[in-house]
Amino acid sequence: MREVYIIGAGMTQFGKHPARSLRSLGFEACLNALRDAGVKPKEIQAGYCGNALASALQGETGVGQNVFWEAGISGIPIVNVENACASGSTALREGWMAIAGGFYEMVIVAGVEKTVMPKGTMLNVGAGDLETKLGDVFPGYFALIAKKHMEKYATTSEQLAKVSVKNHFNGSLNPYAQFQKLMTVEEVLNSPMIADPLTLYSCCPNSDGSAALILCSKEKTQNINGRPVRIAASILTTGTYDNHRDITGWEVEQRAAQKAYEMASLGPKDLNLVEVHDAFTISELIHYEGLGLCSLGEGGRLIDQGVTELSGRIPVNPSGGLLSKGHPVGASGVAQVVEIIWQLRGEAGKRQIRNARVGLAQIMGGNKEGDTRACTVHILIKD
Amino acid sequence: MDQSWELVQEGLFDYPLADRQRPALLANRCNKCGKTFFPKRNLCPDCFEDGNLEDILLDKRGIIYASTVVHVTSPVGIKAPYAYGYVEIPKNQVRIFALFTGSDPPSFIPGQEVELVVEPVWENNRGQKIIGYKFKPIS
Repeated sequence: MREVYIIGAGMTQFGKHPARSLRSLGFEACLNALRDAGVKPKEIQAGYCGNALASALQGETGVGQNVFWEAGISGIPIVNVENACASGSTALREGWMAIAGGFYEMVIVAGVEKTVMPKGTMLNVGAGDLETKLGDVFPGYFALIAKKHMEKYATTSEQLAKVSVKNHFNGSLNPYAQFQKLMTVEEVLNSPMIADPLTLYSCCPNSDGSAALILCSKEKTQNINGRPVRIAASILTTGTYDNHRDITGWEVEQRAAQKAYEMASLGPKDLNLVEVHDAFTISELIHYEGLGLCSLGEGGRLIDQGVTELSGRIPVNPSGGLLSKGHPVGASGVAQVVEIIWQLRGEAGKRQIRNARVGLAQIMGGNKEGDTRACTVHILIKD
Repeated sequence: MDQSWELVQEGLFDYPLADRQRPALLANRCNKCGKTFFPKRNLCPDCFEDGNLEDILLDKRGIIYASTVVHVTSPVGIKAPYAYGYVEIPKNQVRIFALFTGSDPPSFIPGQEVELVVEPVWENNRGQKIIGYKFKPIS
């Protein structure tokens, strides 16, 4: 297996872009990534595009061909990747495998999504699942998990709210974030209840946006003026849907993290920053545990101790996370890696973490039988 | 003319009913490892063709494992607030997703004993009642 490097990263601002199409957003991210890498469209040998909901929301399919064509990339293998919230990160893994396996020297990976809908429109996804037909909604599923975590580990509403407060602070320092405003624990707790115990500001917003990366082989990095970052681990796995599982944690995530650490020959103590799938406040606390940043059940205490703040020992979601940066579903997994690239290169502006060398990105996609359909973990190292 | 109701999903209930029997949930069980599946599966993922799946009716009594009250109207049109969660069916050793009959949190806390009710859960845009299932507390 060959080593794979990321030499270009770019994204759009996340937020509401009602006047812009998927291809317009995707074009901007791809162009930024190409310029950042200093490579031309014709040097790209394959493209992988993550998108989860365009077929349902915009009635569009084949988004990857549209987006890459806008950026001058055509006549090569292009693959559209759908894996719910993990669509973009799965596209990244596809690109990584193609170079690691020796098929190509340079590929582009993008994620693009538009989920901002007219007020009052609910995202109707998962319509084939019994749970959805019986009224299950994403915040409700995560509320069940939060309740169970509170019951088992005495995690508090304040601890949950602190995740949103931290991530909004980080987002206020990120010009690409959807929300640029600070949030207090009281504001989070007093915002409208969505699904007990999760309030409005405990849930990530619907967002439009795109992010893109240029990947290449080690050989190719010699010709690039850029600052390559190595993909030290790329793991994708799915849930086991065990009917009796303890829903206060995701075995799938613990398994993915362990494999990623083995592949990168390091452990959670070696990480300088982490981007996790904080679609809901409870998720971030459980990801601390699943990734081994603390023991099972200790997520609430970890946020209390400030360990995961920007100034803490292991900052989590320095970008603002999904809660503040926004969550254009298919783009989020790619945008997490864009943030890590910027941090490792020292280009993260006001939210820069000093001497960051190792970063981890984690994201999961979709629910099935009370478990997660897809989970990816990537570890990136600036050698 | 359309009938006035529709099942939320085929294959969930024992139907039609003999005499005045109350409907139960239909599951299946692997005769090799004993694992129970609701909704029914086509094969046992552990035993594959070494096991056979046999239809069973789930016990109507369960215990709440987790619950929440949702305060937004669901995409299928269930009006807020409504409650749901997971119910353990001890007799069949299976946990199932289920709506609850009300939205008063104290009635729907983990450990609460509940009983199956088959009834309309929402109405579609053609005015048909969608028949699903819920659990109600046993006092």
